[in-house]
Amino acid sequence: MAFEQDYKGFQDYYEARRLNTRIQVIQVLFAAVLVLYLFAFWYLQVVKVDYYKRLSDNNRLRRVTLMPLRGVIADDEHRVLANNRIAFNIRLDREKVADMKAFFPRLAGILGVPEKTLNERLARYRGRPAFEPVILKEDVDLAEAAYIESRRLELPMLSVEVESRRNYLYGALAAHALGYVGEASEDQIKSDPSGEFELGEIVGKAGVEKQYDADLKGVKGWKQVVVNSLGREIQEIEEGRKPNPGRAMRLSIDLDLQRALEEAYGDEAGSAVFLDPNSGAVLAMISRPAYDPNVFAHRFSQDTWEGLVSDPRHPLQDRVSLSKFAPGSVFKVVMSIAALEENVATPARGDHCTGLWRFGDKVFQCWAVRKGGHGYLTMREAIIQSCNIYFYHLGNDMGIDRISKWAKLLGFGEQTKLDLPYEEAGTVPDPEWKRRAVPRDPFWHPGETISVSIGQGALEVTPIQMARFAAAIGNGGTLYRPHLLLSHEVREGVEEEERQDYVERRVPLSPRTIEVIKDAMWGVVNEDGTGGRAKIAGRDICAKTGTAQVFRASRDIDADKLPKDKRDHAWFVGFAPKDDPRIAWAVFVQNGGHGGTTAAPIARAVLERFFQKLDVREGGQQLASVAVPQ
Amino acid sequence: MPAWRSLNNFDWILFLAILAACSVGLVVIYSATTGTPSAGAFHRQMIWLLLGIVLMLLAVLIDYHTLAEFSPVFYGLSLLLLLLTLVYGHVVNASKSWLGIGHVQFQPSEIAKVSTILMLAAYLGRERVRGLGAVHFAAICAIIGLPVLLIMRQPDLGTAVTFAPLYAGAVFIGGIRVRTLVILALIATLALPMAWGHLKPYQKERVKTFLEPTRDPKGSGYQLIQSLIAVGSGGLFGKGFLSGTQGQLQFLPEQHTDFVFAVLAEERGFIGAMLALGLYFVIIYRCLATARAARDRLGVFLAIGVVCTFAGQALLNIGVVVGMLPTTGVPLPLMSYGGSSLASTLLGMGLVLNVWMRRLVN
Repeated sequence: MAFEQDYKGFQDYYEARRLNTRIQVIQVLFAAVLVLYLFAFWYLQVVKVDYYKRLSDNNRLRRVTLMPLRGVIADDEHRVLANNRIAFNIRLDREKVADMKAFFPRLAGILGVPEKTLNERLARYRGRPAFEPVILKEDVDLAEAAYIESRRLELPMLSVEVESRRNYLYGALAAHALGYVGEASEDQIKSDPSGEFELGEIVGKAGVEKQYDADLKGVKGWKQVVVNSLGREIQEIEEGRKPNPGRAMRLSIDLDLQRALEEAYGDEAGSAVFLDPNSGAVLAMISRPAYDPNVFAHRFSQDTWEGLVSDPRHPLQDRVSLSKFAPGSVFKVVMSIAALEENVATPARGDHCTGLWRFGDKVFQCWAVRKGGHGYLTMREAIIQSCNIYFYHLGNDMGIDRISKWAKLLGFGEQTKLDLPYEEAGTVPDPEWKRRAVPRDPFWHPGETISVSIGQGALEVTPIQMARFAAAIGNGGTLYRPHLLLSHEVREGVEEEERQDYVERRVPLSPRTIEVIKDAMWGVVNEDGTGGRAKIAGRDICAKTGTAQVFRASRDIDADKLPKDKRDHAWFVGFAPKDDPRIAWAVFVQNGGHGGTTAAPIARAVLERFFQKLDVREGGQQLASVAVPQ
Repeated sequence: MPAWRSLNNFDWILFLAILAACSVGLVVIYSATTGTPSAGAFHRQMIWLLLGIVLMLLAVLIDYHTLAEFSPVFYGLSLLLLLLTLVYGHVVNASKSWLGIGHVQFQPSEIAKVSTILMLAAYLGRERVRGLGAVHFAAICAIIGLPVLLIMRQPDLGTAVTFAPLYAGAVFIGGIRVRTLVILALIATLALPMAWGHLKPYQKERVKTFLEPTRDPKGSGYQLIQSLIAVGSGGLFGKGFLSGTQGQLQFLPEQHTDFVFAVLAEERGFIGAMLALGLYFVIIYRCLATARAARDRLGVFLAIGVVCTFAGQALLNIGVVVGMLPTTGVPLPLMSYGGSSLASTLLGMGLVLNVWMRRLVN
């Protein structure tokens, strides 16, 4: 080519050598960097390989917990009380919205939720990864879910999530027995020893749901998914475990009795519990005011929750096992048992009631003071008429130590071990207790014994203790542990009866004592006594009324004309039938006035339903046994 | 000398090493983009590769002296293209560095790279210098400085930086005195803090992040950390073809461009990374051998210009991947996705093959 001569050859040997040397320098330089890189790769890929493998797996693998279905709760006849249903939530994918501010007014219109609420819900997710969807509206109906689902092209940022939700079929029915579920609190997560709780996990918070949470909740499963850098699931890995559904649970509660009780109770505050006196099984229980446990299944139930917590009527409190009140005249039964067993008195002991009794510098009254007292009474008549004077004298003769001994033997002042998460023990006062509990005035005064003798003073009992006590009289002295659990599923579809020994202890009562007490309690209902309103012909209902004083009314004020919250609490405690009892109960109506007036009719309504069912069952059995010989 | 006789002297080792590197690049691009939004990259790269090979063979066939004679034309044309880019260019990632003709988009800065090498070699090949006079020094600065200034206007700092090794190589081989070199190095060291003040905020951020990647793991440190995870988790033998999770699942950004070597190291492991490094070593070694064997100064400076640009980019890119250098946005020559870069690199390699083929004076 012609251009070659334009370019210089090497001047001389020295120039060529110098160039050569400098090229070699460059060569060495490049080679050195490459060797350096070799070591860098060696370090990263061989020395630190495990470290980076782990980081890489953390990047791409995500463990997804699969929540099991919660166990179904049914009544004693397998009628479902609580199950799970499908709920639809509307979720927002924040990554797909460019301008949240501009989009929200439109969104508020679509969802029918105020913009402010939407903003609050969005704010809960601040600091969470952007790929995590925000739940904007919970538990929408099928129509709305379908509306959103059918507009995926228009509204790609909205999606419908399907989740399982606890469902209480009868709303507030037996709410305090069933309890409710909710997201595990941070404290719960921290204090759980197994460390298995996850944020947002649904756990039992009260009632049976809490008590048997371990059985009901089932076993969580998990799967491993591969996600991309945006957190989207790309594929599922074989590895994993299916969730095991929770065990179904059958309660001893009878839906029919429970319904009868709920209806009869009306709008009163208080509680009632009905037991099987031969096992301690709870047949029905109510606590009012109640709440609808379904509201707790919602995430956005903060307002409802706060409303319930701050409600002065305390609807969340289970008044069957957590409220303690003076037993009032019901305690006269305890007094009679103690006097008979300690041989302080015979059933024939007679006394004269003038309506007033001066003891020390105090005057104690009988409720019949305005008609001049009850006159002459034996023990049976004193129980039937619920005479105070008779038991003032009896208490004074017996002394506080023997009274408290028998009160404790009969199950007061201790937890009944009912299978619910919390229970109060109540108080049975005696000099020892007073020294510990009232340091301001540590001495027992004789007048306090007199108050205790008619179930007032420092005496405090819970309705469940009262029901158990009534059951013990009915069954001849056995204290059972009251319980709600009848059976639970051991394998899928296979149910196993709880074969626990529910006997707590047998109280040594002589048959004679029981006979006298039963007879007197029969008289309360059937012989023009204070509990006449509970009488059902042919059912031999035995009971005792009681009135726990709230306000010490002077003798001039008619108790029925007091404002509602100043009125006394009413008790109606008993069992039926007299011989071979099948049901025992305690009905408690807060500010209900006299026990015979408000509490007895409630018990009667439930008892009617109970005996109606019993007749059908046993009548059917008799028919069957007649049919066999043919 | 007839062309067919020159073919006997063709550097087959360099040629095959280049083809091997390109093939490895294609395979990695395929693996890194399958199932991602960049899935079309493989086919586009394939077309550019074929075009690049044609350009390379053209650059081999025409005597490099002839090419050097026309270097001012090429150089002038590239500068014109760079100017046009500043006016009509497309903006990608905040810099105006793309020019489109019909549907084809290319980066004039890559073309400028080759024409600058040619222009520089033509200048230094004509001069007979002992030591490096002030005039020569100024000329070198001007030839390289003009395109660099235009590229920095885009602004595309990454590409501008790739001219630095070319400059260093030209000055060093051009015969700079060792004493001058030491003085320049001292000045550069002192000027560094001043240069820091002129960096853009995002550039400062990159340097800071490099020094301490965990400072901002979700932001600017993210690429660096993800790249290290990709490389490290590859282990000795790698995760296998199409199985690199860092690249495939897009944890690693720019997986088929600036971080293609990280994907390679993840999928092929230490062994694969070493083989690829070996390929680059062979290519660099053969280019330097060409420089040593060149029959005149023009050949020496052509080979040196190409190898310095090539090796500078390659080492800079891999240094970023293993976390030894701050993120610069420089593609890995021959392997990274990017047609203009591939074509211009192949063109440069054509010049080196040309010099080797015509190394013997008959």
